[in-house]
Amino acid sequence: MSAPFRQTPPEALAPVSFEIGQPIRTRFGNGLDVVIFPDDRLPLASFRLALQSGDINDPPNATGLTSAMTSMLTEGTSDHTSAQLAEKIERLGAGLSANASDDFTTIAASCLSLYSSEILQLMAEVALQPSFPEDELDLYRRNTIEHLKFQRSQPPFLANEQAARLIYGEHPYSKISPKPEDVENIDRDAIVRFHHQQMAASRAMFIAVGDVDPDAFLKELQHFFADWKQGSDALDVETQPSSRSSRSITIVDRPGSAQSNIVISNLAIKRTDPDYFPLIVMNQVLGAGASSRVFMNLREEKGYTYGAYTRLETKKLAGDFEATAEVRTAVTGDSLKEFFHEFDRIRDEKVDEVELDDAKNFLTGVFPLRAETQEGLTNLIVNQNLYGLPEDYLQTYRDNVRAVTPDDVQRVAGRYVRPDEMAIVIVGDAADVRPQVEPFAESIEIFDTDGNPK
Amino acid sequence: MSEAFQISPLDIQQYSLENGLRVVLNPDDRAPVVSVAVYYDVGSRNERQDRTGFAHLFEHMMFQGSENVPKAGHFQHIMKAGGTMNGTTSSERTNYYETLPADQLPLALWLESDRMRSLAVTQENLDNQREAVKEEKRLRYDNQPYGQIFDLINEMIYKNFANAHSTIGSMEHLDAASVEDVQEFFRIYYAPNNAVIVLSGSFDIEEAKRLIEKYFGDIPSQPLPPSLDVSEPKDVVTKYREWEDKHAHFPAFLFGWKIPPRRSSEFYALYLAGKILYDGDSSRLYQKLVKGEESVIQLFGFTDERRGPSSIFVGAIPKPDKDLSKIRETIMQEIESIATHGPTSEEMEKIENQLINDAIRMRQSSMARAQQLAEFALYDGDAGLINDELDALLAVKKEDIRNAVGKFLHTDNRALLDILPAGAQS
Repeated sequence: MSAPFRQTPPEALAPVSFEIGQPIRTRFGNGLDVVIFPDDRLPLASFRLALQSGDINDPPNATGLTSAMTSMLTEGTSDHTSAQLAEKIERLGAGLSANASDDFTTIAASCLSLYSSEILQLMAEVALQPSFPEDELDLYRRNTIEHLKFQRSQPPFLANEQAARLIYGEHPYSKISPKPEDVENIDRDAIVRFHHQQMAASRAMFIAVGDVDPDAFLKELQHFFADWKQGSDALDVETQPSSRSSRSITIVDRPGSAQSNIVISNLAIKRTDPDYFPLIVMNQVLGAGASSRVFMNLREEKGYTYGAYTRLETKKLAGDFEATAEVRTAVTGDSLKEFFHEFDRIRDEKVDEVELDDAKNFLTGVFPLRAETQEGLTNLIVNQNLYGLPEDYLQTYRDNVRAVTPDDVQRVAGRYVRPDEMAIVIVGDAADVRPQVEPFAESIEIFDTDGNPK
Repeated sequence: MSEAFQISPLDIQQYSLENGLRVVLNPDDRAPVVSVAVYYDVGSRNERQDRTGFAHLFEHMMFQGSENVPKAGHFQHIMKAGGTMNGTTSSERTNYYETLPADQLPLALWLESDRMRSLAVTQENLDNQREAVKEEKRLRYDNQPYGQIFDLINEMIYKNFANAHSTIGSMEHLDAASVEDVQEFFRIYYAPNNAVIVLSGSFDIEEAKRLIEKYFGDIPSQPLPPSLDVSEPKDVVTKYREWEDKHAHFPAFLFGWKIPPRRSSEFYALYLAGKILYDGDSSRLYQKLVKGEESVIQLFGFTDERRGPSSIFVGAIPKPDKDLSKIRETIMQEIESIATHGPTSEEMEKIENQLINDAIRMRQSSMARAQQLAEFALYDGDAGLINDELDALLAVKKEDIRNAVGKFLHTDNRALLDILPAGAQS
């Protein structure tokens, strides 16, 4: 029998307060939004130049153009070759990269704050004066095509490719990567025209977090970006994700697989939906972490898997709910049974107050941890601004989590966890998997690892 | 620039409890969080030949409950306090760590002390975690293209069983493990005098000392674990091997060299040589192979840092129809060029800035600090070495890099693993 103080968890110490201040916000005459958040904890700086357009804004018949244009920004400018750029950036011990996501195009840089000016100049150069050398584009095309082939050996890619297709239908979110022929067709003229059209100040935002003097930094930013052309706003994507009316199973046959990669998903909400807070709390109860229900069930009780989780993907225009696990082949069907049991339970039974409080306490407690590093703090500020969340979003986040009730959780579970229309995708050995999963849906389709129906 | 740029040293206090538990405190108020890291001096290198994978299986068992914490209670207590946690196992050590809002320090100490003093090992939990570990092995190794290549090359580089065998281990050995084996392992290796605890973040020093004494002070020490020999012959054991990877679609190859232990001057020099060769888009091999010859899809390299003989790797996945021997020749030519001429002054300037940048970035995170402090405390007996590490790296000269590359990165001391794709071809 241990001492009394060991028998129950200890009381917390006096709380340490944590507040995020408001950044300095301004807009240049050309429409460029500027957000500056001084952070002098260490002599570091992080910068983002982001456009309100991403892969989903590829022109019709030009899938992959946004990604190609973005990747090529750092492959040569009017003043520097690709190799010279890499050398200049790394000689400063800094990082500078350009990436496109579904919704946004971002040039990101981080450096010792004493090199802020040098990095800012390079950011402006790659954004505004890329030269898109033909030989670098040729290499990009060939490397990307090889990479596309390579990722077909990775089970998570194969599962996500099918899930996105099934959930989003005709919407551009349905394509998680271009096809080799799309990449083959990208030419320099198209990239130059597209860059001219997309790289417009009115769609852009510059976010700086770091050990910088705001006034001096604004002056410098003006020097580099005030003359940037205004351009036009990004075009809206009109297509809606398709709606589904029944549950389906898609098996990607990967003979010799040691496991089944399971992804079960349905449409949910976009990032700015008012149900966001109840839904993240619901997801925390159900499957977001190692103390959530599906992990406790499939791993800790059943030992089917190393990890089982649920996840919300909330993008600018739409989003999805998904459950994932990698399980040994023999328990693929049993795992589906447990997932659906948990989906029904969170829909049918009201979550008890203790379990709800645990979930809310995680989300509020972990919030300051996310701002501990400058990169973490930058991500919070970037997301709030790019998704157009309220200006007091970071300040009210924890209150919004605390306000969620058991009724809210049950309501959003009923609305966004929809077992009857889920797309079940399994990457594994079809011969072993198929008989186990047949009872779970009326239709089964089988694909090969090239993405073609079998 | 190093003269103009001073990094203030980390504030460190270190002492031991009477039972031998080594304590490192690193107060830092920049963020309202605290990280706790407990490092046990046991890794796969300590395993018996018929019990491989045991250190890692044991790491799983540490989350299965103790006298006052139920099974899975560790996850739940940490998460509902708004914290994050995990544990990992390497050849060198097993670590457990959590980051929490600063006011939850007592919770972390309560949880870590309860499992250090009273781990509950039951047949049911053991069976369950064996299954979780088997799924982890399938996920990370058996079902991944190229997932097993580092375990394979370690067997080619190292002769000594302690160094050569994999951390994930043999599933047959895990199946053979009994509850008594697990309890015995706990008694030998999970004693306070075989561990280090580090606190980094926002806390009051006196309060932290008082809490550590309260929670850990009465855990009895144990006889020291058996001593360990990790010595190695000079060169690698097996120079060449072919291996069929049933999930790979492309051929690949991996070079591995046996090099001196971490913190030796030659290790530092080779670590920097690695940065020059493969780190970043401006590195020599990226510019030669990904650009230049345009012959590889992926290029990678890193050093595996150990207390004993360590290793450095360079690998590539070539594009289809590319001549593998030509790619290998290019890599060896660059290595020979460093062995002959040394790095350029531009490369030395780049490394200097990168090292300073890396050192400052590491300081942002209480967990990153706690982990590095724990390593220095456990491996070297002095957490304060963290404040000398950057200077030691910056002191490496061109000639040191040239000499170390010439001495170690040659073909006598090189293992080459050729990976043949047996996966479904696109």
